[in-house]
Amino acid sequence: MSDNTITRRGFLGLVGAAGATAVLAGCGGSSDSGKTEIEVVTYKQEAVKTFERLQDLFNETHDDIHVTITCPNDATTVLRTRFIREDYPDIVGIGGDVTFSNFVDAGILADVSDFDGISQVKQSYLDTLDKLEFVPTEGIYGVPHSANAAGVLYNRAMFREHGWDIPTTWSEFTALCETVKAAGILPLYLGFKDTWTTLAPWNALAIELAPSDVCQQVNAGTTTFAEHYREVAEKEYALLQYAEDGPFAYGYNDACTAFANGESAMYTIGSYAVPQIRSVNPDMDIDSFVMPAVENADDRILNSGVDLQFCVTAACPHKEAAYEVIRFLIEHDSMQAYVSDQNAVPCVEGDFELPDVLDGMREFIDEGRTADFQDHYYPSEMAVDAQIQTFLIDGDVDKFLAKFDSDWTRYNRDIIAKVQDYYATQG
Amino acid sequence: MPENVKVKERYNWPVTILLILGLITVAFPLYMTIVIAFKQPSEMTNSIQGILSLPAHWSLENFREAMEVTDFWHSLGNSFLITAITMVLTILIHSVAGYAVGRNRDKSKFFGLAYYYITSGMFVPFAILMMPLVKQTAQMHIDNLVGVILCYLVFYMPMNVMLYSGYLKNIPVALEEAARVDGASTWTTFWQVIFPLMKPMHATVAVLTALGTWNDVMTPLVIMSGGGMNTLPLAQLTFQTQFGTNYNLAFASYLLALLPILIFYLFAQKQIINGVVNGAVK
Amino acid sequence: MGNNRQRTYYLMLIPILVLFFCFNTLPLLRGFFYSFTNFRGFGGYDMVGLRNYIDLFQDARVGNSYLFTFKLALVSTLAVNVISLAMALALNSKIKFKSALRGMYFIPNILGSLVVGYIFNYFFTYIVPFLTNTTSILADAKWAWVAIVVVCAWQSIAMNTIIYISGLQTVPEDVYEAGSLDGATGWNQFRYLTFPLIMPFFTINMVLCMKNFMMVFDQIMALTSGGPAQSTESISFLIYSNGMAGGQFGFQSANAVVFFILIVTISVLQTRFLNSREEQL
Repeated sequence: MSDNTITRRGFLGLVGAAGATAVLAGCGGSSDSGKTEIEVVTYKQEAVKTFERLQDLFNETHDDIHVTITCPNDATTVLRTRFIREDYPDIVGIGGDVTFSNFVDAGILADVSDFDGISQVKQSYLDTLDKLEFVPTEGIYGVPHSANAAGVLYNRAMFREHGWDIPTTWSEFTALCETVKAAGILPLYLGFKDTWTTLAPWNALAIELAPSDVCQQVNAGTTTFAEHYREVAEKEYALLQYAEDGPFAYGYNDACTAFANGESAMYTIGSYAVPQIRSVNPDMDIDSFVMPAVENADDRILNSGVDLQFCVTAACPHKEAAYEVIRFLIEHDSMQAYVSDQNAVPCVEGDFELPDVLDGMREFIDEGRTADFQDHYYPSEMAVDAQIQTFLIDGDVDKFLAKFDSDWTRYNRDIIAKVQDYYATQG
Repeated sequence: MPENVKVKERYNWPVTILLILGLITVAFPLYMTIVIAFKQPSEMTNSIQGILSLPAHWSLENFREAMEVTDFWHSLGNSFLITAITMVLTILIHSVAGYAVGRNRDKSKFFGLAYYYITSGMFVPFAILMMPLVKQTAQMHIDNLVGVILCYLVFYMPMNVMLYSGYLKNIPVALEEAARVDGASTWTTFWQVIFPLMKPMHATVAVLTALGTWNDVMTPLVIMSGGGMNTLPLAQLTFQTQFGTNYNLAFASYLLALLPILIFYLFAQKQIINGVVNGAVK
Repeated sequence: MGNNRQRTYYLMLIPILVLFFCFNTLPLLRGFFYSFTNFRGFGGYDMVGLRNYIDLFQDARVGNSYLFTFKLALVSTLAVNVISLAMALALNSKIKFKSALRGMYFIPNILGSLVVGYIFNYFFTYIVPFLTNTTSILADAKWAWVAIVVVCAWQSIAMNTIIYISGLQTVPEDVYEAGSLDGATGWNQFRYLTFPLIMPFFTINMVLCMKNFMMVFDQIMALTSGGPAQSTESISFLIYSNGMAGGQFGFQSANAVVFFILIVTISVLQTRFLNSREEQL
């Protein structure tokens, strides 16, 4: 282990070096017209039309700055390859997940704590980003823009017709599923052939059943996943009895189509699935509710994480101009336009009209009773989604939890070393 | 009766019929592709009847929209440019390499090693080359069309050199010797005698290369990313977003992209079949 | 004169070798270097010595991917070559609609992987269970690999058939004429006349098929993305999804290096074996 332990100073030196090469390589610049050029690359390819409109609006109203917003196909690969050739955009629009953690860790992003717009951002989302840093790092590395919310989508018309009530506890939820089943309707249609969809109910259950910082605790060596994830696993397994036969044969697309055509009453997925569902059934009346994993209705928490945040790269030479662009993107009208188009939840304070699919989650959003997706801490190469799928197929909780813990230490070895080293030097 | 016998002599009907029946393995997926390309997302269901049924309306709307979204003519032009240049350079360069290696690998250690060196390249997983190549092409300032074409020339080299030098076994050395006796240099002999004789292999190589480059997403994506230049497969990525895929538009677009390459194949196929070396081998 | 000729050969080959070195060997060497680091694909990294290689041999997931890939490659190679050879003989015989048939059978090779993925997913999820009254094999960790074999075969038979057809074209008509005088027809004609003559093409196809299927990636992405229960993760799939898309670039580079050595060894052995058979025939 001696050759891969990183001292804090060594690590900071590395970040500095990365930053310095980045600045030398340069980015952005001034165009012939004397305007400052700002390039924004976002990973929200589905929002390309919205961003095109916002980009034009910004350019019409600003004489000194010219912005170009692109939402390339397969943005993750595009961003990574651009970082490899040290060709940094000024602003990147990414999600608040482990990619962000890695970018912060690699020193690619700049501290934006001096940005005045930060005061508009809801504290809970700033905390979310803060927690994503592997080791506590001074500063703020992203401006949360919008969030998504996951839980259970339901067919509102169907619920109304049968007089079904929204469940607020796990018992009520399973009772509802039984009722729906008795009415000859499939309660859930799961698309578990696409492994990533296994994470949607997983996250929604985990935030209520496990501590929100369980991953950090494990990294610090104070607990294990076996201790906290058993109930989560068991409850997700319990969902299978309310789903179609052989849910591992059907994918996300099949599930969306089935739900849209009224084949099932509910779908345990996030609000992001609504456009796909409505492409099949444009007039469908969809609402959502928070997954009730607990027996006390007050303990429910909405699963909501930062879906899009704007980060200024360390290499950006015109930080002020970049701030002006972000200021524009989070101001009320731009935000409302984005939120309406994308069924998203704004991360900034203000009076916004929320899409009706979020009606059932409204009070949680307003009260800030939210917690981040736990999979935002999972390294993608560990393939937790595939492990959950494996477990749901064979049903062996003990094997699953044991593998989860052993794989976690294997895939996070460098991070754990870094964290423990950090606490050693701190403590 | 006599007429019948004549036909039987000419055509092997049982085999023809078997082959026609076998076509269902091709026709069925093709049918699905076409039907889906004409349908609306709301017509997509999870039942057998739903997906196999004909579209409610035959309208070219999906194709029009797909062309608009992918900036079709522009992307098509780029794809065409990359494919054509790659193909021509591939045939010119790789046949030379195949010839030099093929005629000497048994006699000379250097050429023997070169053969194994080049052909071993086909076993390098692209994923390991990808990141270093991105960096390298950026440093050489060819993170553009040139870089992509150079990469293709190298990616296809192992396979093509193997094909060409293998094919060379069918071309008797005596033909070259004859040309040399007439005073032609090795270089001239190659272009005037060997290169034309390699025609069937040119056609095979052309088809292989064209197919590979025409459908390839990864190389242009990583080498030219952010360059603002789209090829057709790159533009088609638009139809697949993280949380949804528009299969109807995607299939319409794929059908459009398929046509040029199919036409090219039909053309090249004649070359494979007609450009036989029969006469020369004797 | 001979020297001069030899020099021309060198002049032909050396520039090409340089090009090949620049865009293949050089990046490969860099990748080889990264296999001794914990590089994530961006940012900084540390040297970790042989750690990645040691991990590689203890990683059950990597082990499974090798087993799966071998099984898939072996079965697919055999299936594809047998079918392609039969197809080539059929398409090269005196049939009607020859050009049209050859054209049609080529189509699977040009359909993009999104289309192929969608159609075969649909085929295995809805149509096959409907016809046979079984559950989808794509959801069955034991049998999902068979579905991948089917798609691999479906897509690559076209190309292999073409190579065999062009091989059959090199067999002069008079060989058959001479053969038929000796009574060689049907199976005997194929066994003793045709097959030995197209043996070089058989070698090429066997080696290429094996190599292509060892590196199988597109079909996996289109059909199962490695599922169900991680039963169809191929080596290339792991190298790409964990090395490029995930943060294991260093580790997966080590995997790629080992994979490269292995696949070269296999191919050399295969070529040696088939070449020796060629000479015997």
